[in-house]
Amino acid sequence: MTLQEKYAELINAAKSSGVQNLQVREQNNVLYIDGEASSGAVKDNLWNIYNKIDPDYRAADLVLNINVSAASGTKAKVTTQESNLNIRKGPGTDQPIVGKAAHNEEVTVLNQTNDHWWLIKTAKGEEGYAYAQYLSPE
Amino acid sequence: MKKIFLGWLLVTTISVSPFTACKNKKADTNTNTTTTTTDTAGTTAPVVINSDDQLNTGLKDATKDYPGVTATANNGEVTLNGTIKRDRLTNLMQSVQSLHPKKVNNNLTIEP
Repeated sequence: MTLQEKYAELINAAKSSGVQNLQVREQNNVLYIDGEASSGAVKDNLWNIYNKIDPDYRAADLVLNINVSAASGTKAKVTTQESNLNIRKGPGTDQPIVGKAAHNEEVTVLNQTNDHWWLIKTAKGEEGYAYAQYLSPE
Repeated sequence: MKKIFLGWLLVTTISVSPFTACKNKKADTNTNTTTTTTDTAGTTAPVVINSDDQLNTGLKDATKDYPGVTATANNGEVTLNGTIKRDRLTNLMQSVQSLHPKKVNNNLTIEP
């Protein structure tokens, strides 16, 4: 069975849920699926399928890179485990903390600086960079 | 017999290759000018793998909130060791797989 066959359900779900710039490529026995989802729910669904096909992600034969696109001004919910989300002066954990957003708080995305760090603003007016993994665009 | 075959192979390779190179070039130009609609599931461009330095910087950010996890990059391959709670595994994998690694080896012990 080829990798594209193994992960066919995932590839089909990405296509049917409207993932933009979808790329499915195989290189040195690893499958790479890249694209942009319109919401966190679409991304989560794809990861659920991935985990179903390859339980606990042990096979090391797929690199799934689905980003959620959020236009400037989009509201996003803070989805940390339970703690506050650090807001930093620049994009990186080596940057000083300039504010915090509470778990479940709604913040505004000002721009998606890169795949991992977004510039956000809280309701209190604190502005800075937060780790995108903990932000779920609404 | 072998020698004759090898000689034939050499001659054909030499005589055929410039022709194919030329042919490919022509085909490329044609594609560039005629292709207007794009394939949504593009398969042509090679996958870009980040350098170990870039991966290690990204891994530092990605694993900051996972004190039991260590992540290392070696020739583009990321290896995860340590322990993690099952309900946090997907979040960690999402972060790590978005760093453009060659592959991710998950050696984590998963706790319920």
